[in-house]
Amino acid sequence: MNNICILDNGAYTAKVGLASQEAPQLIPNCIMKAKSERRRAFIGDQIKECRDASGLFYLLPFQRGYLLNWDTQKTVWDHIFSPDCCGINLSEKTLIITEPHFNFHSIQEALTEIFFEEYECDALFRTTAADLSALHHLKSNTVPADCCIIVDMGYSFTHIVPYVKGEKIKNAIRRIDVGGKVLTNHLKEIISYRHLNMMDESYVVNQIKEDVCFVSSDFQRDMKTQKLRYPENTIIQEYVLPDFTTVNRGYVKKPEGPAPEQQTIKLNNERFTVPELLFNPSDVGIQQMGVSEAIMNALDSCPPPVHHVLLENIVVTGGCALIPGMGERLQTELRALAPDDMEVKVIITEDPVAFPWQGGRVLCQSTDFSEMILTREEYEEEGVGASIEKFDP
Amino acid sequence: MTSRESHRIKDAEKKRVLDEAARQRRARKALEALEQDNFHDDPHADLVMSKKVPKFHDNLESGRTRKTKRKGAEYYRAKYRKNFIQLLEEDKAHRPDPPNYCSAQAPPSRLPQRHFCAVCGSCSNYTCTACGTRYCSVKCLGTHQDTRCLKWTA
Ligand SMILES: [Zn+2]
Ligand SMILES: [Zn+2]
Repeated sequence: MNNICILDNGAYTAKVGLASQEAPQLIPNCIMKAKSERRRAFIGDQIKECRDASGLFYLLPFQRGYLLNWDTQKTVWDHIFSPDCCGINLSEKTLIITEPHFNFHSIQEALTEIFFEEYECDALFRTTAADLSALHHLKSNTVPADCCIIVDMGYSFTHIVPYVKGEKIKNAIRRIDVGGKVLTNHLKEIISYRHLNMMDESYVVNQIKEDVCFVSSDFQRDMKTQKLRYPENTIIQEYVLPDFTTVNRGYVKKPEGPAPEQQTIKLNNERFTVPELLFNPSDVGIQQMGVSEAIMNALDSCPPPVHHVLLENIVVTGGCALIPGMGERLQTELRALAPDDMEVKVIITEDPVAFPWQGGRVLCQSTDFSEMILTREEYEEEGVGASIEKFDP
Repeated sequence: MTSRESHRIKDAEKKRVLDEAARQRRARKALEALEQDNFHDDPHADLVMSKKVPKFHDNLESGRTRKTKRKGAEYYRAKYRKNFIQLLEEDKAHRPDPPNYCSAQAPPSRLPQRHFCAVCGSCSNYTCTACGTRYCSVKCLGTHQDTRCLKWTA
C-alpha cells in the first residue's frame, strides 16, 4: 500500500497521499501571488506563509474544469511531491489519479506522458472522483447496494453520475456548470455592489462564503425573514473583515459583542441566495436545471427497475457538499419530485471532500487492481495512446 | 462640470434605452465574469517563477537510471497548449456521438425563471425600462439608476 499514491486532482484542492495513509493531505492546487510580497510566489500550501492575503492573484492549472495550464500544474505537482510538502517520491510507484468526466484525449495523453516520463511512475490508473466515490459507497459493508447516484459538487461544476450494478451509466451523466467558483464569484459581485469593492479579493470572499453561506430549507420563508429588522431578522450577520495585521481571517461578529476596529460588512439574503444557484442556476441566467431536477433527469436515463435503489443511494461529495443545509434541501426537493412509492435517501458523508480519495484506498484492495493499471511496460511499448485504450475503450 | 450640466447628461441618459443585442451582451459578460479566476491583473507579471520552484529533482534522485532527460514545465506548455475551445472542437470530431461533454450538459429547467432585485436581492416584480435590469421598489430603482443603469459599457 505504500507503493501506491492516490491523487484526487481537484481544480481547487488536490487531495494527495499514499494508500497506506489514513487520510489525504489537502493542498491548494494553484500558485498565488500576493500584492504584499514582491519577491516570491506561493505554491500550493505555501500560502500559509503569506502574511497579507489581500488582493491575491491566482494561477490555476484548470480552466472550465479541465487541465489546461500545464506549466502551472507541473510547478504545483513538483511542490506537492517535494519534501517541503508531501515528500512522496513517485518514482517506481503506482499512481491513481482523477480526471473530470469526458476528459479530452490530448489532456489524457499529457497526463500519461508526464507521470511516466517526469515522475517516473511504474504504473498509472486514471479514473474520476465519482468512480472512486461510487466504489467507496458500494463496497462499504453498511450499504448492501449495487446502485448509487454520485453528486459531485466541485469547484468548476457539479456532476450527477449514476452507477447500476457497479457500472457507470455514461449517457445518464449530467453536468451543471455551477460549482464553488461560480458561488464565490457571485458573492464577490454582490458584496462589491452592495457594500465595498472586493472584486480583487477572491481569497477573502471564498472564506466569507465558507463562514456565512447556507442552503435555505424554505426559500420563500427566508426571503420574508431577510426583509425584517434585527432581531426578527434571524438571517442578517455582521462579518469582520481581516485587516492582515491583527485579524488574519475574517469571522462573524457576535451580535452583542463590542464593535471591532476592523471593517465590517452586513450580510443578509446573500447568505442563502448564493448557494441557491446550485438549485436554480437560472437565477443568474445559466439556463440549466438545478441539482434536484437534474438528478431526476439523470434517473430517466437509467433502467426503471433500479430507480428505487438509485433514489435510496444518493451520495453527495465535493466542497459544496459542506454548505450547511445541503442534505436537507436535496432530500426535501427530491422527495417532492420522486414517485410516492419510492424511498429517497440523500447521504452526505462525514468528509465529503476526502470521500473520493478514500475510495482510492478501497480500489487498491480490489483483487484485480493489478490488471486494471497501465504498466510502464505497456506504456513503453504502445506510447501515450495505451492509456486511452486501457481506460477509455 | 457644473451640476446643471451633469443633470442634463443624466436626463439624456435616462432617455437612452438599451436594445436587445446590448442587453444580451451585458448578460453574456455577467456570465463570463462568473467563470473568471481573477478580476485584477497579475500584480507581479514579471516575477520569474521557476527560480522559486523547489529543486525537486535534485532532492529526490532515485535509484532508477534515467533513460530520458526530463523536459520540465516549458515542454508541456509548448506541447499541450490547446485552449478549451480547441479541445472541444477536437472532441466533437473524435467523439461525435453522445455521451460526450456537450450531451452531458443538464438541459434547461422546466421551472419558470425567478427574478431578483439587482440592488437588494429581494424578489422582484419590475423591470427597468431602460436596460431590463430587475428591481423591487422605487428606492432600489433610484439606486440602480444612480449607479448601474446605463453606466456600464454594454
Ligand atoms: Zn430591491
Ligand atoms: Zn436600468
